[in-house]
Amino acid sequence: MHALALLAACVTVVGAIMVITRRVAVHAVLYLVVTLLALATVLVMLGASFAAMLEIIIYAGAIMVLFVFVIMMLNLGQPDSAREKEWLRPRAWLGPGVLATIVCAELLYCTSPLSGAAPVPAAITVHDVGADLFGRYVLVVELVSYLLLAGLVSAFYIGRNRAGGR
Amino acid sequence: MIGHDIFVPAPLLVVSIGIMVMLAATAWRRSVGRGFLCATGMLLLAITVVGHHTGKVPDGGDSLFVQDRWTACTAILIMFSTLCIMLMSWRDAGVTREDEYPLLLMLGTLGALAMVFSANYMPFFLGLEILGVSIMGLVTFGHRAVPGHEAAMKYLILSGVSSAILLFGIGLAYGVTGSLRFMPPIAAGAVPAALPVAATIMILAGMFFKLSAVPFHMWLPDVMEGAPVPVAAFVAVVSKIAIFSALVRYFGTQNQPPFLDDILCGVIILTIMGGNLMALRQAGFIRLMAYSSIAHMGYLLIAFVCPGRLQSGVVSVYLAAYTVNTLGVFAAMDAFAIPGGPDGRVVAQWKGAFSSRPFLASVMSLMLLSLAGIPPGIGFFAKFGIAAAGVEHQRDLLLCFLIIGSIIGLYYYLNIVRTMMAAPALPSVKLNRQMRPELTVLVIVLSMIVVIGGLFPARAIHPFLPPPVAPSGTGDGATH
Repeated sequence: MHALALLAACVTVVGAIMVITRRVAVHAVLYLVVTLLALATVLVMLGASFAAMLEIIIYAGAIMVLFVFVIMMLNLGQPDSAREKEWLRPRAWLGPGVLATIVCAELLYCTSPLSGAAPVPAAITVHDVGADLFGRYVLVVELVSYLLLAGLVSAFYIGRNRAGGR
Repeated sequence: MIGHDIFVPAPLLVVSIGIMVMLAATAWRRSVGRGFLCATGMLLLAITVVGHHTGKVPDGGDSLFVQDRWTACTAILIMFSTLCIMLMSWRDAGVTREDEYPLLLMLGTLGALAMVFSANYMPFFLGLEILGVSIMGLVTFGHRAVPGHEAAMKYLILSGVSSAILLFGIGLAYGVTGSLRFMPPIAAGAVPAALPVAATIMILAGMFFKLSAVPFHMWLPDVMEGAPVPVAAFVAVVSKIAIFSALVRYFGTQNQPPFLDDILCGVIILTIMGGNLMALRQAGFIRLMAYSSIAHMGYLLIAFVCPGRLQSGVVSVYLAAYTVNTLGVFAAMDAFAIPGGPDGRVVAQWKGAFSSRPFLASVMSLMLLSLAGIPPGIGFFAKFGIAAAGVEHQRDLLLCFLIIGSIIGLYYYLNIVRTMMAAPALPSVKLNRQMRPELTVLVIVLSMIVVIGGLFPARAIHPFLPPPVAPSGTGDGATH
């Protein structure tokens, strides 16, 4: 169990390093997806399956789609077909593919009966998370909402100002 | 619902309600004046309710917030500074019609208050981030768009890095103790002894980054220089008070763990010398104030490493003196600016100010002398208190550096006064000065605080002194 978690953590770190060293934004996004999936695997092994699900649904799902949209809208200029051919060469898929295979194999090994009774820590359920969030930590939730508000207002102001200045 | 028994300090509640009211007012009709009025009213209300809270004080270490006289003292300082900064920027923001400005100022204040009141890592970190994100937006205000955006970008990246270090430290601390209580982790059970040490050092590094102590100081001058004058004052004052207050809360009044002592001494010496020496070479007034603020943080840290009877009194007096003086300098700088004329951000523009703008020049001299620690101002007693705390603990080395730093500081503060006394280079042109009554009032009030606090320190300051700070773990109510 320990070794598996460490392996998934290594995949996360390698993926993250690849994200910040890629020159093409789409390739970075590919690695980012793998990084998030590997991170979710680590969370599953820690028993935080709910956090892992959120990680996949929100980050790997929703936010990645947003990233791809932004990249598509910003990279105008070249003709689409040539650009996509350039982005999606097989070599670009190789690295993320290998990392994703490692994570996938790990998950399969964990779920298969061959691995024996792996001692999973007591799982944290949705009920626990919800009860804590809206019980003890309700003020923290409120503070997070103010943090989002501050980010929203700042981003809105900076964006509007830049757009007007051009 | 469980709303009735949640413990929230009242200022936090009032400021958050104020933000909601401002948002609602913005949704109804956008108006800068109304935003400022609303923010000012809510801040005044929040100052009057300092010390109250809703719900019952939870027993044990399970609470998110804490409230005692130390929080009251620093919360009042923070809200007072925000009020002054509101006054400073009232006219400018009104001209450019930017109604996000008061909203972001209030959000920043909320973040700072959350840090001050926190007894748990979570509100502390969230407060830090709220403050950081608001400052990032505030820095880009004004007409100077390009340096503003560059400064905001620098702040975003560097504060992101420091938050990551801090968060890593908090994670390690949670791993060691299994609790998010806001106090240094103590090794228990089977964890390796290096783990709490690493956690403490990482948390301290993150805090020093925000406090801009010297190995982590690079961002402060650039950010302050890129920002409008009132925002520079906000960065120099509010965020410093908040993080210092949290630092004192975190380590409490006991002796620091032994491994920290050498690190802290090194950081203090570097901060004092680095801040002062780099301030010597600055031609920009705001950069000079940034480096001088770094040096003042070094002096404050001396009081921080001398725990004991004197500590929290000395720290709060010094914080108050630093706040009032810095606000005074920036208010005078803001009042000096003339539309279409010199904006007072370069020291050379103040040449001959004693003959052309005698009132502002005298106020500026008073503030600078007080910052340097010369008797008529409150700064003298603040520095005296720090020296007294240092002597009590026989910190000879640190005291030497305090004196060397003060002497260097005297040079560059007096250099500005000398520039102002020099004969004006040009025959004074009658520029159409804007009357800004609110700034005049602010400058007069700040000067009165400096002089009265300096002349009658015992009577003016003593009632506000907090008792020694209790570390957040041991509950409140520590008395003399």
